[in-house]
Amino acid sequence: MSLSPNNGTGVHAAIGMYAAECKAGLMSRREFMTRASALGASAAVAYGALGLAAPQAVAAETPVMGGTLRMNMETRPGKDPRTWDWSELANFSRGWLEYMVEYNSDGSLVGRLIESWSLNEAATEITMNVRKGVTWNNGDAFTADDVVHNITRWCDANVEGNSMAARMGGLVDAETKQAKAGAITKIDDHTVKLTLPAPDITIIVGMADYPAAVVHQSYDNGDTALNPIGTGPYLPEVDEVGVKQVLVKNTAHKWWGEGAYLDRIEYIDLGTDPAAVVAAAESDEIDATYRTEGDFVPIFQSIGWASSEAVTSATLAVRFHHAAAPFDNVKVRRAMQMAVDNNVVLELGYGGMGQVAENHHVCPIHPEYAKLPPLVVDPAGAKAAVAEAGHADTEFELISLDDGWQAATCDAVAAQIRDAGINIKRTILPGSTFWNDWLKYPFSATEWNMRPLGVQVLALAYKSGVAWNETAFNNAEFDEKLTAAMAIADADKRRVLMERIEQIMQEEGVLIQPYWRSLFRFTNPKVRGAEMHPTFEHHHYKWWMAA
Amino acid sequence: MFKFLLRRFATMVVMALCLTYAVFYFTNLPPNLEKIAKSEAGSRITDAEVDSWLAKNGYASSTPQRYGEWLGVVPGWRNTTPDGKVTGRCIARGTDPAVAPRFCGVAQGNMGFSNVFKQPVSSIIGLRLGLTGWLMLCVVCVMVPVSLLIGILAGMREGNRLDRSLSAVSIATTATPEYVSGVILITLFASSVTGLKWFKGTATSAMDNITFENFTLPVMTISLYAIGYIARMTRASMAEVMTAQYIRTARLKGVRFRDVVLKHALRNALIAPFTVIMLQIPWLLNGVVIVETLFNYKGFGWTLVEAAGNNDVELLLGCSVVAVIVVLVTQLLSDLGYALLNPRIRLA
Repeated sequence: MSLSPNNGTGVHAAIGMYAAECKAGLMSRREFMTRASALGASAAVAYGALGLAAPQAVAAETPVMGGTLRMNMETRPGKDPRTWDWSELANFSRGWLEYMVEYNSDGSLVGRLIESWSLNEAATEITMNVRKGVTWNNGDAFTADDVVHNITRWCDANVEGNSMAARMGGLVDAETKQAKAGAITKIDDHTVKLTLPAPDITIIVGMADYPAAVVHQSYDNGDTALNPIGTGPYLPEVDEVGVKQVLVKNTAHKWWGEGAYLDRIEYIDLGTDPAAVVAAAESDEIDATYRTEGDFVPIFQSIGWASSEAVTSATLAVRFHHAAAPFDNVKVRRAMQMAVDNNVVLELGYGGMGQVAENHHVCPIHPEYAKLPPLVVDPAGAKAAVAEAGHADTEFELISLDDGWQAATCDAVAAQIRDAGINIKRTILPGSTFWNDWLKYPFSATEWNMRPLGVQVLALAYKSGVAWNETAFNNAEFDEKLTAAMAIADADKRRVLMERIEQIMQEEGVLIQPYWRSLFRFTNPKVRGAEMHPTFEHHHYKWWMAA
Repeated sequence: MFKFLLRRFATMVVMALCLTYAVFYFTNLPPNLEKIAKSEAGSRITDAEVDSWLAKNGYASSTPQRYGEWLGVVPGWRNTTPDGKVTGRCIARGTDPAVAPRFCGVAQGNMGFSNVFKQPVSSIIGLRLGLTGWLMLCVVCVMVPVSLLIGILAGMREGNRLDRSLSAVSIATTATPEYVSGVILITLFASSVTGLKWFKGTATSAMDNITFENFTLPVMTISLYAIGYIARMTRASMAEVMTAQYIRTARLKGVRFRDVVLKHALRNALIAPFTVIMLQIPWLLNGVVIVETLFNYKGFGWTLVEAAGNNDVELLLGCSVVAVIVVLVTQLLSDLGYALLNPRIRLA
C-alpha cells in the first residue's frame, strides 16, 4: 500500500524543490528543516536532500548514566493536558507523558510515538505510522487505538479551555464541536489515517505543541500526576505545588527510546525573583536555570556557568482588547502603535537581546514571512489621532505582570506613549492577581511562545472566536485569507497571502508587538544535553551529567 | 489561677471566632468567589460558567451558612448532578454519599481543603508551621542572649563609651530592613562578588536538612533586626533601674558593681524586655515572610502569602486560627512570666 505521492522514493516531491531553494539561498536551512520535516521527511532525509550529512549527536563525549539534575521552575498544580496554559505544566509531565512528534531546536520535527508520517499531494490526507514496541508503564501496548483516542479527545471543543481543538482545525466538526465522523481512521494496529476537509499543513506541527501530551485511555481528565500512566521513562515522586517536583527513573518500565540517563530530575520553585535563582546557583542548590533574562545574563556569565541561547519567535504581545473601550476604536489603536518605536522597546525592555518586530506577529524566521515597508513612528501624529478620536483627556492604562522583562517592556511602551503627550497610567500586578482577569484588561501584555510556522500563531490567537483570542480581533477578510494560507504547503505561494494578512494586522492595529526574544539558559558546566529549547520543551531523555 | 486560665481560654475562642468570620466574610465577597471559580475551572470561562461552577461547588448559599459549614455546626452542602451523582462538602472523592457524615467542619476536627495546594489544610499548616518553627527557634536562641547581653552592657553605665558604641550598632541593625540586610549578607558571605562563600545564599535545602551552612544567613537576617530592637528596650529599662534608690544604697554599702548588676538590677530590668520578647514571637511568625521569600524557605509566612494571593479561603482561615492561638498563648506566657519576675503582680 503506498499512500505517499513520491514516485517510490519515499520522499515528498516538494522536498526536492525546497532543497533547491535552500541551496540557492532563498530559504534558510532552519526553514528548510521545518518545512521538509512537516512533509514527513526524517531529519536524515531532510539533511540528505540538502546534500549535507546529518550532524552527528555530539560524538566527542559518551553520556554517563545516573545522577541528579536540579533546575529551578515554577511548579504548578496539574490538570488536563488539553487545557494546559503553561509550558511548566508540560515539562513536569514530560517525564511520563510523551508526544507524537517532537520539535527540535534546529527547526526539524522528529517522530516519537508516531514513527513517521506522509501527506498526499494535496495535503488533505495524512498517514501516520505508529511506532512499534512502545508500551505504557502499566504494561499495555501502545497501538493505533491510543493514537485515535488521543486525537479524538484533542478534537473535543466542548471542554472548556481545550486549546488542542484549535490546533486540530479541520478534524473538528463545527456543529457538534467533536471530531468529525470518519476523519480519524485506524487502518491497522500501527497505521492511522487523518482525512482533512481542506489541506492543512499545521496539524502534525500542532501535535508537537506542549498541550499535546499523549495520555492513556483510562486517564480521567484530572491531575496528570495522580495516576501517572504514560509511555515515558520517568515517574513523578514528589509533587508539591509551589515548592518542588521530582521525577525519578522508572526502573520497572522498559522504555522504547534511547537515553534517559539521569536517575532523578528535581524542579525547585524559587518564586519569580531572578535574584533568588542567582543565590541558589551560587549556593550549588540548582544545576540549571529554567530560563534567564536581561540583566541576569551577564551575572550568570560572570559566575562561570555555561550559556545556551535559542533564537525564537517568542515575543511579548502588548495587545489591545478590541471589544473594550477605548480600544474598540481602530484610530486609538493605530495611534498607540504610531507613538511607539519598537527599537527603543527592545533596547530598554529586553536589553537588545532579540530582533525588532513589526506589530503583526509573523517572524522573519517563519518560512512564510513577507517583508513589509518599515513602520512609521510619529508621536505628534499619534497625539493628533487620539485627540481626533475624542480621547485627548482620557487616561489610558497599561497593565502588566510584575515579571522583570515584561514590566520593563511595558514601561518602555508607556513611556513613549507618555512622551507623545498622551495620558497613560502603568499598573503592575502580581501573578496571582494578574491572571484572574487577564482576558478582560483593555490594554495589557501577554507572553507568547514561538510556533514553528507563522500561520500557527495567527490561527491560535487572532482568528475570530478561538479559545486563545484575547484581543477579541474579529475580521472576516483576515479569517478567510488565513484559512486559505493554511492550505498552502508551499511557503512561497503562502507568502503572497501572508503579505496581505500581515497588512491587515497592521491596518487594524491589533497589537504592539515590539520584538522577538532570544532565550537563554545557564547550566552548571557539568550539565550536558539540556540546552535551551525555543519552545521551552524539556527533553529529559537527552539530559545527562558529566562526572 | 484556674479561673484566670479559663478566662484566657474563653477570650481566645471568642477572638478566633471573630477573626475567622471577618476573614471568611472578606474572602467570600462575590469577586473573590469568581476568582476561585476561574482558578479552578480555567481562566477563560464565561460569567455564566462561573455561576454554574459556584452553584455546583457549594458556593451559592449565604455567607453565614457556609461559615457554619466550615465550623461544623451546619450540615455540609450537597448537590445532585443531572446524572444522579451526589457530590458534597463532606463526601470525599470515591466514597458512597450514603455513608458520608453530614457535618465536617472544625468542630469535627476537619480544617478543610486547600484549593491551591490540593491538600488538607491541617497537613499543610502542620508542615509549614514546623519549618517556620525551626527558623523561629534558631532566631530566638541567637536573639535573646545576644540582645540581653548588649542591652545590659549598654544600660549599666549609661552614657559611657561602651553604651554609645553598642547603642549605635543596635540602632543601625534595627534601622536596616530585612530585605536590605539579607541582600547585603548574601552578597558578602555567599556570592562570587567577595568570593567568601562561607554560607549558602538560599535555604532551599534547609527544608529537608538544616545545616550551619544553609541556615546561618536567614537566622542572622532576622536576628540582626530583632536584636537591635530588644537591646534598645533592655538598655532603657536597665538604665532606669540603675538610677533607682535601692541601687544607690547597695553601691553606698560597698557592694561590688558586678554583684549590683547581676543580683540587684538584672531581675527588675528584665520585666520590660521579657514582654517585648514575647511580643516578638507572633511577630516572627508573620514577619518572616520577607526572609522566607528571600531565602526560598517555604514556611508559614510563605503559605500565608500564597493563600492570600490565591484567595484560598480555607487555608487562610486555618492560618488565622493559628495566628490567634500563637498570639494569645505567648501573651499568656508573658503574663505568667511577669508574675514570676515581679512578685507584686498577681494573677487574678
